[in-house]
Amino acid sequence: MTRKKSFSDRLADWLPRLVMAPSLLVILVGVYLFIAWTGWISLSSSRMVPQYDFVGLEQYYRLWATPRWHTAVANLFIFSALFLAVTIGVGLVMAILLDQNIRAEGALRAVYLYPMALSFIVTGTAWKWILNPDLGIQKVVNGLGWESFVFNWITQPKFAIYTIVIAAVWQSSGFAMAIFLAGLRGIDNSVIKAAQIEGATLPRIYASIIVPMLRPAFLSVTVLLSYIAIKNFDLVLAMTNGGPGNATEVPSTFMFSATFRRNQMGVGAASAMMMLMTVAAIIIPYLYSELKESRDGQ
Amino acid sequence: MKNLFPALLASSASLIAAMPAQAEVQLEVMHHWVAESEAAALNVVREALAAKGYGWQDSAVGGQSGGNMQQALRSRLASGNPPGAMQFIGWEGIDWSAEGVMRELNALDEANGWEAAIAPQVLPFVKNGDDLIAAPINMHRQNWVWANKAAFDKAGIEQPGTWAELIEDGAKLREVGVIPLAMGDEPWQIQVIFDALVADIGGPEFYNKALVELDPEALSSDTMKQVFDTLRQVRGLVDDGFTGRDWAVASGMVINGQAGMQIMGDWAKGEFLAKGLKPGEDFLCFATPSETPSFQWLIDSFGMFKVTDPEVTKAQDALAEVVMGPKVQHDFNLIKGSIPARTDLPVDDFDDCAKKGFEDRAIAIENGAMLGASTHGFASQPQFATVFGDVVAQFFVNDMASEDAVQMLVSGIDNAR
Repeated sequence: MTRKKSFSDRLADWLPRLVMAPSLLVILVGVYLFIAWTGWISLSSSRMVPQYDFVGLEQYYRLWATPRWHTAVANLFIFSALFLAVTIGVGLVMAILLDQNIRAEGALRAVYLYPMALSFIVTGTAWKWILNPDLGIQKVVNGLGWESFVFNWITQPKFAIYTIVIAAVWQSSGFAMAIFLAGLRGIDNSVIKAAQIEGATLPRIYASIIVPMLRPAFLSVTVLLSYIAIKNFDLVLAMTNGGPGNATEVPSTFMFSATFRRNQMGVGAASAMMMLMTVAAIIIPYLYSELKESRDGQ
Repeated sequence: MKNLFPALLASSASLIAAMPAQAEVQLEVMHHWVAESEAAALNVVREALAAKGYGWQDSAVGGQSGGNMQQALRSRLASGNPPGAMQFIGWEGIDWSAEGVMRELNALDEANGWEAAIAPQVLPFVKNGDDLIAAPINMHRQNWVWANKAAFDKAGIEQPGTWAELIEDGAKLREVGVIPLAMGDEPWQIQVIFDALVADIGGPEFYNKALVELDPEALSSDTMKQVFDTLRQVRGLVDDGFTGRDWAVASGMVINGQAGMQIMGDWAKGEFLAKGLKPGEDFLCFATPSETPSFQWLIDSFGMFKVTDPEVTKAQDALAEVVMGPKVQHDFNLIKGSIPARTDLPVDDFDDCAKKGFEDRAIAIENGAMLGASTHGFASQPQFATVFGDVVAQFFVNDMASEDAVQMLVSGIDNAR
């Protein structure tokens, strides 16, 4: 038996779409249209202002013939890999330790989460001073009597990128901890009890049952940290400003300086497209496999 | 939800109502002068403009040595809403003029005879073809050495006459516990020294060939290798804490005697004077040592964008007249630490360093040693000038051979073409 839909029913059907439409439009224009525009610029001869001609892949050749870009790409991979691995590791361990029903857990949680409330500019400036051999850790340790102690990574082109990893881990591991902690709290206690009855040891329970059950939390943390890693710009700017000698250049700082300071808008656009492709190549398969599984599986 | 639209309307209406009634024409001026002395110097211009009956609408975009301002300007131009006037350094004015967005100031130039008062070497940066497109307000010199007098006395050294002497003096300073040279690792700070070395070792002609014409032979010449060899020796004068050090912090090290020298443009002088130090007594200022002393200059100029409102055009004319006015040039530069862009003004009440700069400029104009400062974009276009910055910065902090640096320079310039 069919009934003619009333006005309010139809409105109820359409309302979600109507409400979503403006934001969809904004995203289409503000994100995808400009991605397409950047792609177009990267194929043009643009220097100071956009030119709408076509020079093929010339800007990409130019980009890959620039030693600074090679440094930037290598740094992105070093930084992202270490940043993700260490942040997830530290965050997970902190979450597991906090989950042992310890005293003053709320206060400790706030302490670990607090760095997240700082902007990367503040973190970067603070760590720049902490790691400066003449002001920070090295000076303090030397002053305590250990004269030969040297910790001057930030002045060493080969090690400077690792100092940025240190600062980024400091800032973000509390955030990873919070997500893992939420995941841990969501795990049914009966599973753990059952395992204990079976005679499994605590490390074994964590390694084989709890951590695998945190898979959704891993997904969220990985995706969120990955984009923090890739858009990393302000931290580098505040800490080393790409130095010493371009050793800590990352693709985002390269893109900014090519486009706005070096009159190489075409090269800047090409580097932006390379960044997009890199992100897409890593994130899309990962998202696809994770989301597909949850749709099929659970 | 349904209340949103009226609420938006109401709030935007109240915004419009909140804007002050415009008693005078406001000229929006975009610039990246946000430091204290810079803002104080700008006040001179602002007041002179107000005396002509025009308001100054400040649009300061600091950061990234003007990079942020360039970004802001691009979006303003793209939306067809350029500011009335803008501060330019390097090729910016000429480049924007080539895009057809700048207006010319020829009528004012002819009426006031400005061109004759501007050093001929500066003209390519303010004239596009036959059109004057920007009004230069000041001139800085980049190749200065600032030295702590007490430290020099303690080490028993005098003003060095050559780079070799300067490097030897460095060793003597180190013996008495003073860091010979204060600097930061920012590419432009290293490039300032590089520019000086190119002109001091190779001479003005070599400077023009290598840094302006980008001649591959000059870039890969033995002279260039010698420049890098000397730069390597200069690295030995610097302490290890130079990472991320601001130029003003480096000036502070010379001021308090922790370091002996700094090689920096004359904006550093403001730091010394602000601490009450006297040139000649407490600190020394001299050009980087050479047989062929050069005057490596950079200017700030104001350019005017094409606008439709004739009232704003009049305000632009007023600003150009103010900027080129002898009194404003005098007062502005007294505060900013530079010297007037006009070469025809008396500088009797400037400090000794500025007077010396003024004298040196007259000599340099005579014998062809007026050189645009490459670091600040007054030699080659930015896509090339920054290659020098990249290479010298990498060379300076790494253990790189001079041959490799020269090779990187040649291929980097080639790639940017």
